[in-house]
Amino acid sequence: MTNRRKWAVVPGLFALAATAIVLSAYSGASTPQGRAPTQPIPFPHNVHVKTVGLNCLYCHFTADKSPDAGLPAVSTCMGCHLSVGPTRPDGSQRVGIDTLQAYWNRNEPIPWVRIHKVPDYVQFPHMRHVNAGVTCQSCHGQIQDMGAPVHQAESLNMGWCVKCHIGESNPPFRARYDCAVCHY
Amino acid sequence: MSHPKQPREASRQGASRREFLKVLGAAGATTAAVGCSSDRVEKLIPYVNHPDNTVPGVSNYYATTCRECSAACGIVAEVRDGRAIKLEGNPAHPLNRGALCARGQAALQGLYNPDRYRGPMMRANSDAALEPVTWEVALAALQQLLGTARQSGEAARALFINGHESGSFPVLLDSWLQSNGMPAHLPYDALIDHATVAVNRQAYGVAWPSLRFQNARLIVSIGADFLDTWGATVPQQLDFAEARSRLRDAPRLVYVGSRRSLTGLNADEWIDCRPGSELAIVNALAGAAGSSIESAAEQAGVPVDSMQRLARDLRAATPSMILSGVTTVNAFEVGSAVAALNQSLGNVGRTILPGEPISGFDAAAPVEMVNAVDRMREGQISMLFLRNVNPLFTLPAALEAADAIRRVPFKVSFSSYPDETTELCDLVQPDHHPLESWGDAQVVPNIVGLQQPTMEPVFPTRSTADLLLELGRASGDAQFSAPSYRSWLMERFPGGEAAFAEALQTGLTTGSVGGAGAARPLPAQTRPAPVPLESQTGDFFLHIYPSAVLGDRGANKPWLQELPDPVSKICWQSWIEIHPSAAERLDVVSGDLLTVQSAAGSVTAPAYVYPGVRADTLAMMFGQGHRRASSGEPRAVAGYPEGTVLEGYGRYSAGVGVNPLDVSPAAFDPQSGAFAWTAVKVGVTRAGGHRALVTTEGSARQHGRGIARAMPVSALGQPVDHGGHHFPGDASHEPLPGLRSPLAADAQGAIASGVEHKEKDMYDPEHWSGMANRRWAMTIDLAKCTGCSACVTACYAENNVPTVGAPYQTKRIGMDAIPGGNVAQGREMSWIRLERYYEGDVTTSNFEARVVPMLCQHCGNAPCEPVCPVYATYHAPDGLNVQVYNRCVGTRYCSNNCPYKVRYFNWFGYGEPARPQYAWPEPLNWQLNPDVTVRGKGVMEKCTFCVQRIREAENRAALDGRELEPDEFTVACAQACPSRAIVFGDAADQRWTVAGQVHDERAYHVFEELNTFTAVVYLQKVNHPGEGQPAIEGAGNGAGH
Repeated sequence: MTNRRKWAVVPGLFALAATAIVLSAYSGASTPQGRAPTQPIPFPHNVHVKTVGLNCLYCHFTADKSPDAGLPAVSTCMGCHLSVGPTRPDGSQRVGIDTLQAYWNRNEPIPWVRIHKVPDYVQFPHMRHVNAGVTCQSCHGQIQDMGAPVHQAESLNMGWCVKCHIGESNPPFRARYDCAVCHY
Repeated sequence: MSHPKQPREASRQGASRREFLKVLGAAGATTAAVGCSSDRVEKLIPYVNHPDNTVPGVSNYYATTCRECSAACGIVAEVRDGRAIKLEGNPAHPLNRGALCARGQAALQGLYNPDRYRGPMMRANSDAALEPVTWEVALAALQQLLGTARQSGEAARALFINGHESGSFPVLLDSWLQSNGMPAHLPYDALIDHATVAVNRQAYGVAWPSLRFQNARLIVSIGADFLDTWGATVPQQLDFAEARSRLRDAPRLVYVGSRRSLTGLNADEWIDCRPGSELAIVNALAGAAGSSIESAAEQAGVPVDSMQRLARDLRAATPSMILSGVTTVNAFEVGSAVAALNQSLGNVGRTILPGEPISGFDAAAPVEMVNAVDRMREGQISMLFLRNVNPLFTLPAALEAADAIRRVPFKVSFSSYPDETTELCDLVQPDHHPLESWGDAQVVPNIVGLQQPTMEPVFPTRSTADLLLELGRASGDAQFSAPSYRSWLMERFPGGEAAFAEALQTGLTTGSVGGAGAARPLPAQTRPAPVPLESQTGDFFLHIYPSAVLGDRGANKPWLQELPDPVSKICWQSWIEIHPSAAERLDVVSGDLLTVQSAAGSVTAPAYVYPGVRADTLAMMFGQGHRRASSGEPRAVAGYPEGTVLEGYGRYSAGVGVNPLDVSPAAFDPQSGAFAWTAVKVGVTRAGGHRALVTTEGSARQHGRGIARAMPVSALGQPVDHGGHHFPGDASHEPLPGLRSPLAADAQGAIASGVEHKEKDMYDPEHWSGMANRRWAMTIDLAKCTGCSACVTACYAENNVPTVGAPYQTKRIGMDAIPGGNVAQGREMSWIRLERYYEGDVTTSNFEARVVPMLCQHCGNAPCEPVCPVYATYHAPDGLNVQVYNRCVGTRYCSNNCPYKVRYFNWFGYGEPARPQYAWPEPLNWQLNPDVTVRGKGVMEKCTFCVQRIREAENRAALDGRELEPDEFTVACAQACPSRAIVFGDAADQRWTVAGQVHDERAYHVFEELNTFTAVVYLQKVNHPGEGQPAIEGAGNGAGH
């Protein structure tokens, strides 16, 4: 093998490396971070949390006892909105409540669009995190300040999870981080 | 290359390979991102009104009753977010005490069967096909029919055949029939051993006494397959395994019969008697006048000394237990002789307990079905109702029942599934599945098991009980005023509403319902007397036996189709068992097609050379061979998704196997009316051609590998003497070192201390995770394991293991749809399997069979781990060998390097709905366990030690702010095991049961010489050789060759 031919592979390697960089950058961009899909009802978290003063667990009632955080049943919404809303004068503030009542009257669930999702091969038990004192904001961003629509504040990719599990991003917390803690 | 590689370069080379794979991985991710946009809209649907007592993501458990056979075991259905996802035995139930057989567990695949009727069907005229109609139309048609029948007096000639069940429904049904002027219904169950029921009634006054194997010192089974399908198999197996676990005091089991069934394979000695000679044997054992051991041995074609040994043992071992389950035309006679022998040996009341009977076996004699078919043929039946019965499949073809049924002017079926008989009906009003309906069962005379709906009905079916009440109400009969069957039940429930409320929790209450207890009088028989076997001509006796895994209704459930027969290890197929010497004489090898012929007909199936069948006998399994009335592509029915097969018994049974009842004459025991499964001598010819057996068996011999080990009972407590030899698998050091692991020393903490570990640790031994003292481990007691394979189905259910053998999963370009095709190519995914090995000379009847459940051994020093180029398999700090699906790129190096061959590769995307090989067509996928990833194509998978259950228990403990309790939870296979042979737990914590068992004197590791340090510890089987029984070569402590 001659030296010339040896050097000839260098551009090829560069090309491969460049492709790799481009591809990995692209793959990094594939996280839906920042995504804020339109919801069937423009539900404002800020009004419910800061103005009304509801606790997160009032609606997401299983976040501290189940792997699923739980979504409020339409009846939970109507618990307040039977009286809150209908008395307001017609206007933009009523739009969501009207839609809600329409669902309720049709006896239909509200088809919320999912924002926060980890892949199927990841098991994320909400209650372990909530009971360990991990705040909702750690994963869901400043949700109490978000109006409609909610956006995905964090990347939710594995490196982001692991940073917390090894105690790097959120020092008081650390947890097992071998694969089978979440992947099974 | 001009110069050899330097070692350093080689390592760089390795690193760059990883880099390369990284790039590939990135490319893969990109494709995924482009291919399925992450903006894909996924909906989160809340409840409108949240139901009480449910937490999303957390299971609810409903106690109910299994209806897959007449025993009616108690089950607990795990329901997650409104869907039943797993069935387990009810620990409080007196029969099955928490265990459940494969058939019971597979009830879920009946519930979610994709070929279930999704509403009523009706035939516009007698030539038209069944087409979907609305419930209004179907009910109006039925109501009109009933009205006309009542007025014309035709009602008196109606016939309702109901799948036999104990409890209240038969009472409701009979009162409804009566109010319509119709005769009482006919309760039919093809699998109940009616001859034995008749004997029991006569001898003990009960249909089925409890059998207390634990009290026996010797068990003699004369064709009674109490571990297969005979009687109440789960309670029998529980008790038998418990008895066997007493080791020194365990009863010896002698099996007398022409074929070694699963029960026969568990026996210590097999007396391979000629079919039809059982009576002579029993008479000789009883010392009846005119009989002798010698003449009986000659008549039975067995060695005199084995008969003499049996007679001697019977005198010496008291109490003993003799069970008769023969299926010849003189079954009642044999059973009566056995009952008398039990009486004279003092066994009744000690091992056979008529005082503690099991209800549930009071069905009609099968011969009543024959009489009913005769009446249909003669036009004496004006209308026929069928519910939970499929007589066209369970009656011999010689009866020509199809023609007879066609002559009935109007036929109504309440079947949930299409089947042969329903295909002939004019109106189908599908019933709810038992898991969707109310009901009850008489378990034992003073205990009622409640059956409650576990979920909303999957399809718009309607409960037949509700339907009867509705029709009754419409006709103005006051006794049917209850608004629903639930309230009807509640009104009559023993103990009233309070007991009902309690039974909702436990599934049980004391009391009795229904009209059980009285024997049905045997109808006069009009059929010619059957020809006794000994006076028939033909080359071979034909022994037909009901399949232990399929029963009579399992063929439409892929879990059961894919579960290898515990004896033959064949699935998705029928086979003809033939003895090696007969096979040699006919120049036949396993897989050669044979045609079995009798006056009644013929069937063709591949041969399976089996040493456990007599040389003059062929054996065939009943349970396959469902057929559609038409050939060609199944008819598409409006409103049903593509791929639905509403003919025959659905897509999973179509084209699979043959029905041996096609060659069976319609012969019945004249005294009991029981069907004689073994009633004919047949001719056999080579059909030409060969069909590969769909078997999961590699070799039937251990080849000196010491996988399944056994010791004679006399060796217990004796120091092991190897005579200077080291047998593979022998524990070479003290104490058992297997639960230490040099590779992941931190995993075992204290018990690993002192073991030098290498630099290549993946973990910090001082890890703060607190897992350092855990070592998840398992023991499997081979003295208890019978090989029933309930663990296998439990694993499929728990871990979303796909079935791969359905014909449609084989269909590819250039390849036909072959039942079991993927399994035949070794592509089954069963994370746990039962290996069955023979020891000794299989050309004689004196050979031993051993079974060993084989699953991932979770090696401390796992050969699979270092060969993975992407670190997709690794050792967790709590001792698990973990497979990370999302890291796996499918090189299969791990599987190649696994000495236990317990890793399975997902070849065709069985878990991906868009692929034609998808294993769970809607709504079968409703069963999937949400805690376990459904694996995609190109990924290796294997037993996880039910890591999701470990995590669930850890989560529960964390919620309660406590540590895990010893034996707090167990894995799916151990939970289901009807032998209680599997124990799971933390071997590093002495409080767990498993931690004590791993130090048992019988403990060993498979392939210990490979230094794999497995977490699965087997306890040797214990053999009970008879005095003077020729030694079985290799049956000792070492490995056989």
